[in-house]
Amino acid sequence: MEELILKLKQEIIEVLNLEDIKPEDIDNDAPLFGEGLGLDSIDALELIVLMEKNYGIKLQDPAKGKEIFKSINVMADYIQKNRTR
Amino acid sequence: MEQKTSVKILSAKQITIQNPLCEEWMENPLEYSEDYVRAVDPDFKQFISAGDARRMGKLLKRALATSLSALQEGGIENPDAIITGTGFGSIENTELFLDALVREGEQLLKPTQFMQSTHNTASSLIGIHTHCHGYNSTYSQKGFSFDSALYDAWMQFCVGRIKSALVGSHDEMSPVFSGFVRKAGHVREGEICSEAAISVLLAENGDNAYCTLEGVKLFDTPSEETLRKVLADMTAGSIDAVMTGMSGNRDNDLWYGFLNAMLPGVPQLKYKPVFGVNFSSSATGFYSAACCIREGRIPAILTTDGKPLECRKGILAVNVVEGRHYSFSLLKPCGK
Repeated sequence: MEELILKLKQEIIEVLNLEDIKPEDIDNDAPLFGEGLGLDSIDALELIVLMEKNYGIKLQDPAKGKEIFKSINVMADYIQKNRTR
Repeated sequence: MEQKTSVKILSAKQITIQNPLCEEWMENPLEYSEDYVRAVDPDFKQFISAGDARRMGKLLKRALATSLSALQEGGIENPDAIITGTGFGSIENTELFLDALVREGEQLLKPTQFMQSTHNTASSLIGIHTHCHGYNSTYSQKGFSFDSALYDAWMQFCVGRIKSALVGSHDEMSPVFSGFVRKAGHVREGEICSEAAISVLLAENGDNAYCTLEGVKLFDTPSEETLRKVLADMTAGSIDAVMTGMSGNRDNDLWYGFLNAMLPGVPQLKYKPVFGVNFSSSATGFYSAACCIREGRIPAILTTDGKPLECRKGILAVNVVEGRHYSFSLLKPCGK
């Protein structure tokens, strides 16, 4: 799980172009949206694309993203349980 | 309704292949032997936070940096209009988006690249960033884009709709796109294929203006008689020089041949050897003319005989695109 979390953080930094942020700066339990990383709805779309492209997870209901993208830990847990690649 | 006859140019800023956001090029221009050169970027962090910058490509960062600099120097926070020219917009993101489209079989496309690939992103970004929610428009007419944007602003000043306008022209050139542009003949042999972001702040009133804009005229395939009349009208009060889009390439320079016959003895200036050629080139010429008038001198780097000139009466900026589209902008010192 630790390995997946680190990989996920690196992918998020790259895909969202978070230039000044390092993986260790992202708190595993901090909210990704609003407070914490301060991501927005366009970032949510980018994360949906990332999940499908890198882990084969297609979110049928985009509204579920709010729950899944709650924090790095929640996201990594969802990927672990649902990934197809 | 009273017709305006002049508008002040309060500031003009550039990010090009010369040192950015300054006029160092007038004394110590950077010289290049390559035929493809990308712009020299400033430190964008002084204008844009890392959070805001993360979704911006080079073109957007440059457009915002020149715009914010121009607004700051001109002392206007919220211009009435933001009017932008761009030949091909954020072409680098367009390429990334199209590459992904092919690679991923039209699936899994990134929204940021899609958003940035539209031509009007720069103008809208400037509007959002500066909280200017007034008139906002983008002109995309290849090498005639800035001229069209400037003409729009001029007309709106003339009918009294606006009292200030931020007019810009922004184009980037990716390595792949520069090859296409050259093959299509938009950049010719001996010309440097380059990039430019130019922002100019115009207003009815203001202190410390660079100069005034006395007129803008655009023509499509004008007759010789029309050209003679326009040049006679616009240079009636005498000018120091004509800022031309001549580059040293014979095929391009032929389009400016009419100036020899119709304005004999008036010095012709060349800005393209200094700033290269791109779809925002004419904005670079306009910016150069404004800087020369502000300084009261034309640097040797712009003149055909390599000798500096005094600049006390004004400059007529002339742009000819594809031998067909003509624009004329008359710039004069304040109070003349």
